Amino acid sequence: MSQPTQHSALAQWLAVFLKEVKDAWRDRRTLRTVLLLSLVQGPVVLLLISTLASDKENRIDKREIYAQGMQYAPDLQNFIERQAYTIKAPPADAMDRLAAGQLEDAIVVVPADFEQRLQAMEMPAVEIYANSSSRGSGTARDVARNLLQSYAQERVGLTLALRGVAVASLKPLEVQERDMANANARAAQLTGSMIPLYVLIAVLTGAMGAAMDTTAGERERSSLEPLMMNPVSPWALALGKWGAVAALAAVIALLTSLSFIPAQVLIRSDALQALFRYGLSDAMRFGLICLPFAGAVAALLMASSIRGKSIKEAQAGNSLVLLVFMLLPLVSLLNDAAEPDWYYLVPSLAQQTLMLHVLRAEPIALWQWLLPCGIGLLLTVVGLAYVGRAMRSNAVH
Amino acid sequence: MILIDKVSKRFAAQPTGARWQRKGWRLQRQPQAWVQAVSDISLHAPNGQITGLLGPNGAGKTSTLRMLAGLLAPDSGRLEVDGLSVTHARAKAQARMGILADARGLYPRLTARENMVYFGRLQGLSDGAAKARAEQLADLLDLRPLLDRATEGFSQGERVKTALARALVHDPDNIILDEPTNGLDVLATRALRETLRHLCSPAGGSKCIVFSTHIMQEVERLCDQVVVVAHGRNVASGSVSDLLVQTGQNDFEDAFVQLAFAAAPAQAGMGL
Repeated sequence: MSQPTQHSALAQWLAVFLKEVKDAWRDRRTLRTVLLLSLVQGPVVLLLISTLASDKENRIDKREIYAQGMQYAPDLQNFIERQAYTIKAPPADAMDRLAAGQLEDAIVVVPADFEQRLQAMEMPAVEIYANSSSRGSGTARDVARNLLQSYAQERVGLTLALRGVAVASLKPLEVQERDMANANARAAQLTGSMIPLYVLIAVLTGAMGAAMDTTAGERERSSLEPLMMNPVSPWALALGKWGAVAALAAVIALLTSLSFIPAQVLIRSDALQALFRYGLSDAMRFGLICLPFAGAVAALLMASSIRGKSIKEAQAGNSLVLLVFMLLPLVSLLNDAAEPDWYYLVPSLAQQTLMLHVLRAEPIALWQWLLPCGIGLLLTVVGLAYVGRAMRSNAVH
Repeated sequence: MILIDKVSKRFAAQPTGARWQRKGWRLQRQPQAWVQAVSDISLHAPNGQITGLLGPNGAGKTSTLRMLAGLLAPDSGRLEVDGLSVTHARAKAQARMGILADARGLYPRLTARENMVYFGRLQGLSDGAAKARAEQLADLLDLRPLLDRATEGFSQGERVKTALARALVHDPDNIILDEPTNGLDVLATRALRETLRHLCSPAGGSKCIVFSTHIMQEVERLCDQVVVVAHGRNVASGSVSDLLVQTGQNDFEDAFVQLAFAAAPAQAGMGL
């Protein structure tokens, strides 16, 4: 009998890890798709966000307003045109299209007796028709409302001035807004939680295939039974497999984080282009934040997958894990105030919060780094303990 | 040397109907049903001999070998490999066995050589030793043309040979084979037979070989001793000629049918 030369758990771990890496490397098509997706993620997300932002900017820059019956309000028309806005007659079927959400605009309707009622100080009603389910229509409605309010204010000012009353008596104070948010924070406001969420989704979906292949895949191709006939420790086996899955998840996290750097050239919104500053150090911090998450996700997806006798069964279980991790960050949407400390205890919500800190260029305290790392480590250990145990018990069932 | 002493194992039966049933106003859980797969099976396989575990489908052969391999814990009884208890020193016992499982389970994206080296590494061999051993086994099992091909697309015979080489990579003293000739053609079966004869000869290392089968010809041509099992129990043991004498038959197949199905004639038709 050949004498074993090294039988340590470390050597076994290394053997399992290298085999899994080689196995994943040979599955070129899957690997290529997963890595390509993680690279494309950044540009696509930024393009999407900036397109939405630039649509809004274009609408405001266009300085056009749909108005019906403006011929009854020459003074109002004159005011609007002085603001460098073009007044356009709405299309014939404008109201129907607006109701159906097909017209991304708002329509100002001036009544025929506008001028007479204005002169008689009878407060003529000007209607603004908009569709609140349409983002573009909402923006156009805000523009129209501001114009009409400005006109009303000018009228009041002129009337009072003619009667020798100081305008200040009607407007005793002036409100001046000062935005205390820095440029990054304002950019983060524009990008919202989208960027961190997409990084987390990339890690989750990227790790899922490898997690299933190393666990449920072993059961599906009946290789788990011969594998467990070797004198290999369950920890070495679970750790070796986890190492390969976690490494892939970490690479995906890093690639996705890096992909936002070149993607900045695709930003179509002027405001976002001016405000969004995302450099290599931000990408590295994103990567660091995602590392414990990648480890925990790899272990938990493996633990969920090993319960499946086939890849198909594992997919059903993993979709639940994915759903939980994708929904948790949405908790932050319900809270406008500063995030509570318990956010850092919840995986994926903690990572999203930390990534938002990076995007807003806000400092991160040491405990804010360490707490999610500790939770990630704990989940990894629990997941791997289960995988190690389940591999043996599921070897023949 | 392998010793299996009065080993028993039962499994929980899969429920066929609802697990909970209504009794009046109450829901009552159905009692767990059990299937006795193995009852007091014993076997002693010395070194330098080929011991056949012969039985019809569902006789408990694979369950017995899985307990021997350390995959299943027996409910009672003793399993030893070279004096090491499989229950209490599983890893050490596993290191002394090379097992060709019923599920061949090769890694399709790895080559035949990589499959062998991986298991060699798990058995504690260095990378160099595992690679050298893969070369030796390629010559022994006529695997050389397949060595550097990914196992995906291998024929059944090629799969069996590769899985056997993988099981032998650490040159174990005890070789356990579960239905090794399943799916093999005549030539491949003959070659495997020759290999096993060589391995149990002094030139091949006087290995202890245990193999399970339900094919009479394999047993007649290969085994030094046979343990016949049916319905999870030992029904006879001895050499082929001993069993022929014991049953008063001239044909080993008739002897086997008499031994395996006499205890439960009602099930004989099903078994055959």
